Amino acid sequence: MNAPHESMLDDVAVYAVGALSPTHARRVRDHLASCEACAAEYAALAPTVALIGMSQEACPDAEHGAVTVSPLLKARIMRRVRSTSQDVLPRSGRSSRSLIWPAYLVAAACFAIAIFSTLLNLSLMQQLKSSQTQVSAAQNRSSSLARSLVDERTELADIASGQGQRFAVPGGQIVRVRHRLYLTLHDLALPAHGKIYQAWTLPKGSKLMAPSTTFVPDSHGTAIVALPVNADITSAVAVSVEPEGGSKQPTSKPILVQSLE
Amino acid sequence: MDRNAEELVARVRARDADAFETLYDAYHRLVYGVAMRMLGDVAASEDLTQAVFLKVWSTPELFRGGNFAAWIVRVTRNRALDTLRSRSARPESELPESLPESDSIEDVAFAHLNAASLRTALEQLPREQREPIELGFFSGVTHEEIARQSGIPLGTIKTRIRAGLRRLRAMLDGVVTA
Repeated sequence: MNAPHESMLDDVAVYAVGALSPTHARRVRDHLASCEACAAEYAALAPTVALIGMSQEACPDAEHGAVTVSPLLKARIMRRVRSTSQDVLPRSGRSSRSLIWPAYLVAAACFAIAIFSTLLNLSLMQQLKSSQTQVSAAQNRSSSLARSLVDERTELADIASGQGQRFAVPGGQIVRVRHRLYLTLHDLALPAHGKIYQAWTLPKGSKLMAPSTTFVPDSHGTAIVALPVNADITSAVAVSVEPEGGSKQPTSKPILVQSLE
Repeated sequence: MDRNAEELVARVRARDADAFETLYDAYHRLVYGVAMRMLGDVAASEDLTQAVFLKVWSTPELFRGGNFAAWIVRVTRNRALDTLRSRSARPESELPESLPESDSIEDVAFAHLNAASLRTALEQLPREQREPIELGFFSGVTHEEIARQSGIPLGTIKTRIRAGLRRLRAMLDGVVTA
């Protein structure tokens, strides 16, 4: 195997790790389509790369300071899922007749409740230790939320300030304040099921639009999007409707294209 | 696990919330662990975990078979990269491309490895090979940026990444057959 091809095999490994720039990755992808040796190398290395990700699986308990997942997260997700699932079954096996309990059964039930309460107390004591760990995680989260609020305040101040450059686009405007870039759109229809809006940015000197943030408008049809690019080196912005999850290249005609120059 | 996952995803396609819950129980630690490693932030990692699983719920057909854990790791990494991109001041052309999510990774031999044995194998790699691999996978930087930051020639970084992956593959083959 010649030296240039050895170098391409190195590139294939970096591609498998996901550490190539989009331009470089495209070159490797094109090569993989036509070179059996490199395609075989990629097929051998890609599962190994997946295993690197799997090595990060969090631990099921909080012992030894391991990374653990809040049980509240599952509750949050399952609430959303259950609210949209179609498998809500009718309750069965429950009689609608009211029951009259004799006195001895009431006494037995009270005794059972007392025992249950005692056991519950013991269980709660055990959960206290785990709750203390959760409090610590919540404190970290609070700091992070504070940082997010600062970011949001900066965005609102930028958009409301009237400073910077504003580019009118159909249904809104693009706001450029120093090196930051925002897209503010109104009366935007919700995309069809399975679709999403995606912003695109054109780096100065490039002829290829780069994929940017995906978004959907709120219930009033408003979308305010901070574009994660440096406005100083961006020459145009576009928006198109794409499949959910976004696309690497536009798959539909853009609903807006605006030059920033 | 992953044959089971394929069956669970098929049930999720039929809007079976119980199957989704089983899938969540089996894989949420993996998703959250990758998110935490890449974002280093509890709130952002929880949001990302939620986004990944709601994506599984809303569009289960995106998983086209193969190793579910490998697929969900890619989806998680790509979502985390989006977050890192939004935090970065660098132009997108200098940021790494997402991993393809439509590839089906078939490697049943690795399906029985747990996180601890994988971490052990990674730690056994020479540091000069392990670091660029982990930086490339978890940090949202290109190999060019890794070379720039470390002051090591680009060609050397690429060769070390490939050598490290091949070595890791050989070590894990050994674990599986042991």
